[in-house]
Amino acid sequence: MTATTHAAPPRTAPPRAADAVRRAAQRSARRRRNAAAGVLMTPFFLLLVLVFLVPLGTAVWLSLFSADEPGLGFGPERTVFVGLRSYAAVLTDPTFLSGIGTVALYCVIYIPLMVLGSLALALLLDSGVVRMRSWAQLGLFLPHAVPGIIAALIWLYLYTPGISPVVAALAKADITVDFLGLHTTLPSIVNIALWSNLGYNMVVFYAALQAIPREVLEASVVDGAGPVRTAVRVKAPLVRSSIVMVAMFTLIWALQLFTEPMLLHQASPMVSTRFSPSMYIYDAAFSRTNYSLAAAASVILLVVTIAVSYAVTRWTNRVDSAKETAR
Amino acid sequence: MPGRHSRRSVLAAITALPLTGALSACSGNGSASTGSGSGETSGTKGRTTITFWSALRGSQEVVDAFNATHDHIRVDFEQIPAGGQGGYLKLSNAARAGNAPDVATIEYPQLPGFVIDGVVRDITALVGDELRAKLLPQSLDQTTFDGRTYSVPLDVEPMVLHYREDLFDEFGLDVPTTWDEFAEVARAVRRTGAGRRITVFPTDGMTLMAALCWQAGAQWFDISRGAWNVSMADAPTRTVAAYWQRLIDEDLVHCNATGSRLYDAQVGNGLILTRLSGAWEAGAQMNAHPEQKGTWRIAPLPQWDSARPALGMHGGSTFAVTKDSRHPEAAMEFIAWQVSHPDALKARLSSGTSSMYPAATGLVPVGRAAFDRTYYGGQDIYGLFEQEARKISDGWVWGPRMTATGYIMQDAFARAGAGSGTLLSAMRDAQAGTMPDLKALGLATTQHST
Repeated sequence: MTATTHAAPPRTAPPRAADAVRRAAQRSARRRRNAAAGVLMTPFFLLLVLVFLVPLGTAVWLSLFSADEPGLGFGPERTVFVGLRSYAAVLTDPTFLSGIGTVALYCVIYIPLMVLGSLALALLLDSGVVRMRSWAQLGLFLPHAVPGIIAALIWLYLYTPGISPVVAALAKADITVDFLGLHTTLPSIVNIALWSNLGYNMVVFYAALQAIPREVLEASVVDGAGPVRTAVRVKAPLVRSSIVMVAMFTLIWALQLFTEPMLLHQASPMVSTRFSPSMYIYDAAFSRTNYSLAAAASVILLVVTIAVSYAVTRWTNRVDSAKETAR
Repeated sequence: MPGRHSRRSVLAAITALPLTGALSACSGNGSASTGSGSGETSGTKGRTTITFWSALRGSQEVVDAFNATHDHIRVDFEQIPAGGQGGYLKLSNAARAGNAPDVATIEYPQLPGFVIDGVVRDITALVGDELRAKLLPQSLDQTTFDGRTYSVPLDVEPMVLHYREDLFDEFGLDVPTTWDEFAEVARAVRRTGAGRRITVFPTDGMTLMAALCWQAGAQWFDISRGAWNVSMADAPTRTVAAYWQRLIDEDLVHCNATGSRLYDAQVGNGLILTRLSGAWEAGAQMNAHPEQKGTWRIAPLPQWDSARPALGMHGGSTFAVTKDSRHPEAAMEFIAWQVSHPDALKARLSSGTSSMYPAATGLVPVGRAAFDRTYYGGQDIYGLFEQEARKISDGWVWGPRMTATGYIMQDAFARAGAGSGTLLSAMRDAQAGTMPDLKALGLATTQHST
């Protein structure tokens, strides 16, 4: 720009100078942009390092070392590198593996119920069937505002025979239910989790449904689709990305199942101290004071979580692209 | 090597006594380092302060009695929660942080774990011959591993049979002396109806199961060959598990947790006619059910073979000096007084109704005199405990992570009570869930799975 104001005579130099100036300007702009990006992203990376990478590194470190004494263990301790010994112990521990099995079963029951339930509620709200929509929304969302531990306490009260009004009312109707029995603890835990999180995920779906262009819905109505058909065949596919996201978060949350069984453990011997992998980790660290075992189990749980999330992402992507090509 | 080490620590402790006494007095005033506090500390000069943690009832009374009669040692007592309710975690964490109390209370089953974790100190050289001679050998055997002593037993708890004499009379039953007779009486009790059973198989009773198996000659953990050999389903254990499984299957016993309101109701309403437990429980029963005064008596536990009587221990506590203690000699003096001085036992029994049977057998007459016999209809229960304590078999070893092992076992007992699995499969589960723990601790292990 400045080059044009200067006269013609020096033909070759000015463009180069102009170039240099422009490049310098670009460079400084880029530098400023980089600096801004750096400033804005520093808190994120700082937190990432502080609350994720450092603890992760510590866990990996802890899992590879142990305070050992040879033989019977009565001698003096010394910290030694033990390699993958703690990992081998965790992976050969039937109580850990049964915890994994429990959580897998929990996921199979919980995730479909959660996703379908919250989607159905969101579609109901969106369809306009429900009167006083905002009140209904608030009512459904409210349980999510209750902290998990309080929710578990409330449900523990409702489940415990002798003090629960629900059990008493059912007993009056000649129905005996033991919510904390051998086969009922897992459904009871699923129920607490559903109650807590259904409203939250419903709000996510509802927001996604609001973003659907009205023309599309009008077109479907014009084509003769009823409200149910519109909801199932038009709306639901359009919020597929939200469904995947909710399913993913629910999965990650479910794999770390802890609060509800931890509290029910106080009331029912059917919820063991090593009910889920997270409870196993807690027990290893704070009841068995075996920190390298707890660290190894934590790392294994993290790896499993990452692997499952990755597999789900890959699978949904492949399904999506398969659909694209089919179209 | 250990002898030399301890002699050095003796010297160190002796030289440190006056100094640290003054220091702790100073830091108590918040004016450390400078010598200005010398005027204030002159009263406590030469007095060593040691700290003591316990969950045992009556400990405050014992400490008060000790402080009142000792000028050179002062004990600071802190009541902590019972082991399972966080007391042991508190001790572990304090030891990790390097500020464990000088003296800690540890029950027999948890002692090996604290030894392995290096929380407690090897006190072989500190336990004098005089104290050793006072203690029942079987109890000291429980606190000695691989030839080294790690804590001093307070009480010995032979398992006995508490029974409702009035109901036994009413139904014309004889007190069983063998387990076969016990099963016969169980059938007779069930025939009396009204939901009565001879006893409860406690689904939360790892220690009870251990005592029953101990009596039958089981050896869940064996360290005689330089490695932890785990064998929680050995032949005697299988016998015991099968016996109780049959009683459960034939609906001859209740099967539920004893730490529950249901159990309190079962005892309170006379739905169970016997309780199997250590001597200490006689006092606990007096506290829990004062209205049943005069109805209970205590008899020896039934035997497998009357010709060769044996017993296991159910409950009991020990006192250990921690590795963090800066005054192990003073700590040891307090421990020795606490377990063997008549005043200590009197103070403990004065706190309420306790029926602890002292490991220092010389104190039995004190306990016998101090114990109010009216609840048991004048029965000399200390005389019975004395006779039973001699039957306790030695050689039993608790595992390195007994609390965790017990949890697995009890979870499986509860499932067995609900009809899923058996007592024997619970024992196998407990063993399978224990092995990875021991391996992760770096211990040499072998296992015997039968």
